[in-house]
Amino acid sequence: MLQSALMPEAATSALWLSVRVSVLATLADALVGIPLAYVLAKRRFWGRQMLDVAVMLPLVLPPTVTGYYLIVLLGRRGWLGGPLYALTGWSLPFTWYAAVVAAAVMALPLLVRPARAAIESVNPDLERAAFVLGRSEWRTALEVTLPLARRGIVAGLVLAFARALGEFGATLMLAGNIPGRTTTVPLAIYTAVSTGETDEARILVLVLTTLSCAVVLLASRWGSRL
Amino acid sequence: MIEVALRKTLPGFTLDVAWAAGDEVVTLFGPSGAGKSLTLQCLAGFTRPDAGRVVVNGRVFDDSAAGIHLPPQARHLGYVFQGYALFPHLTVAENVAFGLRGHPGAGRRRRTAEVLTQLALGDLAGRFPRELSGGQQQRVALGRAIAPDPAVLLLDEPLSALDAPLRRQLREELRALVVGLQRTVVLVTHDLGEAYQLGDRLVLYEAGRVVQAGPKAEVLGRPASETVARLIGLRNVVRGTVVKTAPDRVEIAWRGHTVEAVNSPTAPFQTAPGTSVAFVVRPEHVRLIRKDRVSPDPGPRMNLLRGEIVEAIDHGTSWTLLFRIAAPGPPSQGAYDLEIEVPHLVYEILDIGRDREWEVSMHRGALQVLAGV
Repeated sequence: MLQSALMPEAATSALWLSVRVSVLATLADALVGIPLAYVLAKRRFWGRQMLDVAVMLPLVLPPTVTGYYLIVLLGRRGWLGGPLYALTGWSLPFTWYAAVVAAAVMALPLLVRPARAAIESVNPDLERAAFVLGRSEWRTALEVTLPLARRGIVAGLVLAFARALGEFGATLMLAGNIPGRTTTVPLAIYTAVSTGETDEARILVLVLTTLSCAVVLLASRWGSRL
Repeated sequence: MIEVALRKTLPGFTLDVAWAAGDEVVTLFGPSGAGKSLTLQCLAGFTRPDAGRVVVNGRVFDDSAAGIHLPPQARHLGYVFQGYALFPHLTVAENVAFGLRGHPGAGRRRRTAEVLTQLALGDLAGRFPRELSGGQQQRVALGRAIAPDPAVLLLDEPLSALDAPLRRQLREELRALVVGLQRTVVLVTHDLGEAYQLGDRLVLYEAGRVVQAGPKAEVLGRPASETVARLIGLRNVVRGTVVKTAPDRVEIAWRGHTVEAVNSPTAPFQTAPGTSVAFVVRPEHVRLIRKDRVSPDPGPRMNLLRGEIVEAIDHGTSWTLLFRIAAPGPPSQGAYDLEIEVPHLVYEILDIGRDREWEVSMHRGALQVLAGV
């Protein structure tokens, strides 16, 4: 393993946490973001514009502001977090799940934008052809629209994963920086640099850079075969 | 059997049509933007009409009075899209089988094979649409539409995506196929040749309305109005003034002459003298009078006119002569009054190339009065 010889234990734990958080955040984004992209592309409903803005907001706001909103929403006294705490005695902030939520929210617009554009660019006659041949809208989405939009969706998932891997500000706000529990690689780098542990910082920077490059490279090779 | 009555208002356009057809090929013909494709979209259920009623083989697809509007999925119709809309991620066989999902596996495979054979696509079953020629794609689109054995087949400009030579060749193929279905087939086209060759019945559209509908021979042979005559591309649609109407004939003042047309025995044309009226003269029915022969009976029934050929256009096997009547005032059709069609041989025998001054005659049966506007 990478541990012992090359990396101190704290760095290894940060790396595995980052991978776990990013994978889960990307999966969560896939579950939420693909249907969301479809609905934004296809449906006209009241509040559509507001939903669109809400999804895109993390792209333009400083991550700390997004993190602040997440605390307001999910914190122990938050709109959703309050009732949850009253009911179960458990709250999200400062757990590694909070890192997943923060990364997922920050990465969501990077999936939704290309996925939505790809769904919108599918020739509507193809969907109509499926309707005429008896397919419901749901089956049409699964058999025609989403398969034809796959390039855009995969591109979005890759961007989302890369973004989740590098998430810093919102994670710090919502999950804190608890070594071994919520310290992801970007946080570990920050800690290492600010405490003068330059070797550890250098290794983590290298690992994160390599990992990100590998993801983007693999995705572009895979994407060209789709 | 199909009965259609639709009204749909869009910004700047209103569709208001009604027509019916049996188990035959009905062509919706008219210029672009006349509402033909919108009609098809209403029939397929993609667009909900503001008002109207659509009934196919006794099944009510739409009835605004009863609040009925079936979704496309429930209509069981075949639709061939302009540009075909083949599923690019599926093979030819998968495209054809797409509408057979409800069928059991064996039945589905058998029907797919059957359609592929019928359309001579057997060798291409495993190909993807992008690997096919335009003509092949068109056949796959047809195969996909007819595989589920739809009650009615809708074709939106099915040949317009192809080159002209291929289009002519595929017309006959398409005709044989759709007639073989023995179903109601609704075909949209803006190509008169296509409308004529493919259809049994013609519905003429203009600006969101039906200007004439009926068996194609009737519509083309007896256009109801000047609009229709122009729409179906008739040449020599000109205007004169009524001099006199009688049960058997109509006398019209035109370009300094009084010409005589046969009145319709079934629906005689009757208008007060002095009314402006449109009539049509078929270019192949205008005769040049040979100068080396005795002049024929100069009676009014022969409609003799003297004038000059201002231009001659060579079509290979025939010539079109643009003839201007020797009379004061502007000619009826810009620089000339009549188009005359003569076979190539006649053009040479009469030496029309050198001799431009002629007397022509139009038998009164060749003049057709267009009653409507």
